[in-house]
Amino acid sequence: MNSRLATVGGYIIGFALLFLIWHLAALFVVKSVLFPSPLPVFERAWVLIEENLLQEQIVASMRRILQGFFLGTAIGIPVGLAIGSFRPVRLLLEPWTEFFRFIPAVAMITVSVIWFGIGEESKIFLIAYTTVFVVIIATAAGVGAVGRDKIRAAQCLGASRFQVFLLVALPATVPYILTGMRLAMANAFVTIVAAELVASNDGLGKMLWDARLFMQVEDIFVALISLGLLGFATDRVFRLLIRAFAGRFNPTM
Amino acid sequence: MGFVALEGVGKTYRGRTGAWEAVRDFSLELAEGEFFCLLGTSGCGKTTVLNMLAGFESPTTGRILLEGRPVRGPGADRGVVFQGHDSLYDWLTARDNIAFGLRLRGQGRAERRAMADRFLQMVGLTGQGAKHPSELSGGMKQRIQIARALANEPRVLLMDEPFGALDAMTRAVLQEELSRIWTQTRKTVLFITHDIEEACALATRVGVMKRGPGGTLKAVVPVDLPFPRVRTSDGFMATFRRVHALIHEEIHPHE
Repeated sequence: MNSRLATVGGYIIGFALLFLIWHLAALFVVKSVLFPSPLPVFERAWVLIEENLLQEQIVASMRRILQGFFLGTAIGIPVGLAIGSFRPVRLLLEPWTEFFRFIPAVAMITVSVIWFGIGEESKIFLIAYTTVFVVIIATAAGVGAVGRDKIRAAQCLGASRFQVFLLVALPATVPYILTGMRLAMANAFVTIVAAELVASNDGLGKMLWDARLFMQVEDIFVALISLGLLGFATDRVFRLLIRAFAGRFNPTM
Repeated sequence: MGFVALEGVGKTYRGRTGAWEAVRDFSLELAEGEFFCLLGTSGCGKTTVLNMLAGFESPTTGRILLEGRPVRGPGADRGVVFQGHDSLYDWLTARDNIAFGLRLRGQGRAERRAMADRFLQMVGLTGQGAKHPSELSGGMKQRIQIARALANEPRVLLMDEPFGALDAMTRAVLQEELSRIWTQTRKTVLFITHDIEEACALATRVGVMKRGPGGTLKAVVPVDLPFPRVRTSDGFMATFRRVHALIHEEIHPHE
């Protein structure tokens, strides 16, 4: 419990320090209206929250991220398990994953807008696209890393092939899957902003773009800080999940 | 015919660097209820023999029979205790690890728990059932492995240098515990080791292997001493010297 208190305390002090440095930099170093200090940014954020504008953008972006993320994960886990478990599947699908993962989601924006329009579908497609390959590779690596003796032990306790998969390979792979999902979530944040910058009616990316058009520097900073905090929060959730599922038996992760 | 029979068993691995004959013409019969220690230098093929009997690998020549039926692949009639503790399921508690075999057979929760607790007691870990393997010491993990294998009620227990990675004190304690458990259960055991004292302390018969490649059974020494074994007794010393002489020729072949 004490260590958790120390963790939270560390977060608070760390963030306070960041804002202090920012404040000092704006006051003494940069001295430009284009680089506002934290105070006017927080005031602007408060106004946007009171008018419910910030929440709308956050909800719009997060909804797309979560929809695309869970779609990509739902496809990625079974495909990764199949690649990791069956050699023919691996030989067949590995070229695909190795090919597509080098085409970044950002490069797919144009074609996804042509296919799916500027509505929700194109964003969800892009997030799912950026998620799926990371999850596939992490999951397949996890299956490959299951210790030989774990499988043999199950076999000589009488396990069928299906039981070995369900009761040994799958649980042993969970930490790898969660780690893959955590990495994919970071990618999703990068992708959503790019997608909303190019083509969208709402969301944090759109907010960034509009603020640039109207030179609302405070709005840009509000959007940036929102992205940072949202990413930080989701990553913490994943860290907690990984620790709950895996930390107990894999302290290195 | 013996309870377990290995008849002219050989194993040759073929790889990119050519063929490697690990075991050549290995024959052995185990009687039901005996504790057989297979002793040999590293690389003599003793683990390969165990892996073939367990069904993890198939012999290239000869055949292996358990109660007259040929061994094909791993099965619940042959329990295995592995050298390392990587074989334990880190995500399960000690109790659930022990009851894993029962779970595979679809036994109920209450039954599994009762069985697990019985075997926790047998290996001296009463009250430790809720812990995960990461919370247990190396010696405790090997106790869990032994309990897991025994709880599944195999016909034969195969142990692949189970105490090899433990410190000398823990090893001696576990050897005594294993002897006690064996005298209670009289399970048929094939125990692989390179430790002469360990073999003499545990076995009813010690099989000494020729060094590899192409390792095979060189001699079998019966150990007709009462349990619990007293390591300072004359009988124990005599057996130790006899086995030592046999193994010594394999370590220093040109003397």
